[in-house]
Amino acid sequence: MHLFNFGRAGWRQSLLGLLLAGPGVALGQQPGPAAAPPDSARLSRRQHRLAEVQVRAVGPERFAVGSRRFELDSAVLAQYRGANLADVLQARTPLVLKNYGPGQLATIALRGTSAQHTAVLWNGLNIMLPTLGQNDFSLLPAGANTRVAVQPGPAAALYGSGAIGGAVLLNTDPDWRPGSRGSVQADAGSFGLAGGSLEARTTTPTVAVRIAASYREAQNNYSYVLREARGPVRYTLRNAALRHQWSISPDVAWRIGKAGEVTAAAWLTDADREIQAGVNVVGSEARERDQSRRLVLGYRHVAARQQWAVRGAWFEDIINYRDGGTPSNSRVRTSQAQAEHTSALGARGSLRVGAEAQHFAALVDGYGSETITENRAAAFALLRYDPRPALRLSANLRQAALPAGLAPLTPTVGVEWDLLPARPDTLSYSSASQLTIKASAARSYRAPTLNERYWLPGGNTALRPELGAGAEAGLRYRQRRGRRITMEAELTAFRQDVDHWVQWLPSTSTGIWSPRNLRQVRSQGLEASTAVHLRQGSYQGGAQLAYHFTDTRKIQGSAADSDPVGVQLAFVPRHQASLSTDHRWRDWLVSGTFVFSSFRYTNASGTDFLPSTSLLGATVGRTVRGPAGTSVLLLVQAANLLNHTYYSYPGRPAPPRTLGASLRLSWN
Amino acid sequence: MKKNLAPLLAAVAFLAACDPENSATPIPAPDIFILSEGEFTKGDGAVSAFNSRTNGLAVDYFGSANGGAKLGDVVQHMGVQGQRGYIVVNGSKKIEVVNLPDFRTAGTISGLDQPRYFTATSATRGYVTEWRGPYTGYLPGVLSILDLSTNTVTSRVPVGRNPEHLLALGGKIYVPNSLDNTISVVDEATGALASTITVSDGPSSMVADKDGNIWVLCSGFVSYATGAAVQVSAGALIRFNPSVPSAQLKFTFPATSSPGSLRINPAKDQLYYGFGGAEYQMSVAATALPTAPFIRRSFSGFAIDARDNRIYAAVSPSYNTNGRFIRYQASGVAIDSFEVKVGPNGFVFY
Repeated sequence: MHLFNFGRAGWRQSLLGLLLAGPGVALGQQPGPAAAPPDSARLSRRQHRLAEVQVRAVGPERFAVGSRRFELDSAVLAQYRGANLADVLQARTPLVLKNYGPGQLATIALRGTSAQHTAVLWNGLNIMLPTLGQNDFSLLPAGANTRVAVQPGPAAALYGSGAIGGAVLLNTDPDWRPGSRGSVQADAGSFGLAGGSLEARTTTPTVAVRIAASYREAQNNYSYVLREARGPVRYTLRNAALRHQWSISPDVAWRIGKAGEVTAAAWLTDADREIQAGVNVVGSEARERDQSRRLVLGYRHVAARQQWAVRGAWFEDIINYRDGGTPSNSRVRTSQAQAEHTSALGARGSLRVGAEAQHFAALVDGYGSETITENRAAAFALLRYDPRPALRLSANLRQAALPAGLAPLTPTVGVEWDLLPARPDTLSYSSASQLTIKASAARSYRAPTLNERYWLPGGNTALRPELGAGAEAGLRYRQRRGRRITMEAELTAFRQDVDHWVQWLPSTSTGIWSPRNLRQVRSQGLEASTAVHLRQGSYQGGAQLAYHFTDTRKIQGSAADSDPVGVQLAFVPRHQASLSTDHRWRDWLVSGTFVFSSFRYTNASGTDFLPSTSLLGATVGRTVRGPAGTSVLLLVQAANLLNHTYYSYPGRPAPPRTLGASLRLSWN
Repeated sequence: MKKNLAPLLAAVAFLAACDPENSATPIPAPDIFILSEGEFTKGDGAVSAFNSRTNGLAVDYFGSANGGAKLGDVVQHMGVQGQRGYIVVNGSKKIEVVNLPDFRTAGTISGLDQPRYFTATSATRGYVTEWRGPYTGYLPGVLSILDLSTNTVTSRVPVGRNPEHLLALGGKIYVPNSLDNTISVVDEATGALASTITVSDGPSSMVADKDGNIWVLCSGFVSYATGAAVQVSAGALIRFNPSVPSAQLKFTFPATSSPGSLRINPAKDQLYYGFGGAEYQMSVAATALPTAPFIRRSFSGFAIDARDNRIYAAVSPSYNTNGRFIRYQASGVAIDSFEVKVGPNGFVFY
């Protein structure tokens, strides 16, 4: 199967995939010939095949051969519908997030890199804040999108600036199953947590509409003990409330003719937070309002031998911060356009070429009173070629143009080879196993952020892009035993260097802090994961175990950069492991999660650290079927079940054991 | 395919046991204390204790002397009165009182707002300068008068904006108002504002010399409105006799940078200050500012030990890296250096 899949075999294979679908993180890869694709990817494939025209759009992941990728299962996402993406990733994956507390700033560090080194894409568009060059995962409600995938490692040729440590891909895929369905949910929990959400869809043969909305607030007024000179003193956390958090994300897909599809999507988020200043800082009243408005309009033409797509998007990101003084306000408007054309190269390959442009208009107090504008553009070519079904290759190239000149050319190459191919007849229900060897190498870059270029004082317009270069290689094993059991295991080793790593340092003469390209950082490690899914009668369940070893150190720096060489970077634990297990039996649902983090340094010197943590979570749910396709689901969730006392960040005590309950009414 | 959890739990227990040791070794008879501000909001400010005879160093001496208690956020200053140390913790808005030299707690002075610098004139009378207002619009600050027998604030005297490193001399407390161009003079006996002396823009530190003159270092004002640092008004070093404060000798700095941190040697005849990324030395009898630096390095703290005239200078490379202090001979020749916590800014000799 190559670029476009018409075959009945594919359809049946997808159905098989659905049957085998278990909850949990699908540790899937780029679907190979016999691969079981991740749960929701299967859904999207199936959707397209249900229609008369059995062609489907090719996702960018098809050109990321040989690199690791995993997807959060849609059933798992549904469990965390009222939460934010930081909560989900921390409970369900061994990914490292630096988190200042519940609802507070949460940034990701993929493969030991910094918060600015993970690109976040929404429906294919980069939504990293142009000012800070990063995303606050607390501001991304989990229920807004239908698909969440993580691709660790450099794949910047696919995803553009910032994808040095990897990319987080959020998508809202249309659901072409005809009819209407939806659900409303109410949530309540410890420490003043209250919220609600709605998801509704309706689909005709030509139009699919979805709307998801959520609301959340939390007092976060839990108690903690501070060790003072006079002894331990118990306090209640203050100025840490999430006053409100809204998210509304409607989208519509409209089929035009047999090959055309217009999509329009919006994602509006609005959060009003008290900013917890650290429990040793007395009397802070800081607050922040974060608002993002994201709109995208696209047209896609999918024909047998070629497809093309154009997209236009407009974003507005607002951050208004105040802490008693004059507010610090920031508003950035981003306009983006993308165009791409994909054509089949014979029966075995496909080539995509495309270009994109971005225009930023930033009115930021820190840049002065004028609006700052900046343009960026990039062109790319992505090639996928499978000489044999068991041997898959990809080679990509991206060239970006930045205001300060051309960014480094970023190529990516990847290979996957099935050493132990599955039996050719993948429809067979008998046992089959597959062993694949995979490797990829890439260069990547990060364009300087608007803050780095324009902040007054200190902004440095001469800053060069950061440059990443890395490779990964590994093995993936999949086994199916009859129709009841599937298991997969994956082992990936990676190594990558980031050069021209930007660091803000004060000038010795004026004391003004300014960003400079100062150092080289090397990150290397191992990622191991295994998952098993079981289905027997009215039971289905599974378990996923994952372990990450991450060693990240500065290996070279300029004289001006005094941070020591060879010390593990701050807030990157060397060992991180997660175990999650989900079980469904008749109308019952039980899940357990366990995440271990080893100690992590809290400064560049490698002297101060936060101790290791072991966090246990659990969910119990019961569905009650009602008339006319309705059902009620009651979910009870607990986090930090062992009531472990720890700090998520220095000066920020993490919550003790928390309980939450959700009631969901669904119809279809 | 049931999973056996025992190996997993064993692995986790093994990894959890890999946490570094949090060892704080007490050292005997420390005679020098080094203040580290710590990282803002992390609450990891510290005072390290150093024994200058054995070169023994204990980082976070307050924590190890008080059962692991955190000193707080932004350790700004420490003053000594008799056998008590008074540690001003700016972000935590308090003064921790400790017994010297063992650093065991002797109380906490709370009810302060943005405290900066402390001095005491007797075992019962202390003073602390406090800023008022948010950083985007500072208001006139106060000099708080402290009762050191009860560790409470007894009264507050309004002074100018951002009062800094105060000086007690001859029954008067001199408070430099660093966001104005004035020095507020508070009478010790009445506890009231006695007079206001006009100097140059940005007075921030003061010393008294061997002749009883007061030297004030004015940093000048800097504007960042255009992106670059523009010296709106030049810095100045001003000398006056407390009895005739209007008769001032003034040395004006080039408007290329802001001078700061005026110190004096134990003999009270040599001044030291930082300017343009270097440390300068100047005789109190000089008729012009020195042009050649004493040590070509920028310090975040600088002090001279009266017992042996050695210089202790602090280096803060970045906001999240441990700092160092370097010892120099009185001539400016470096001897050795030691690592302390983030942001060292001052020394106390005891």
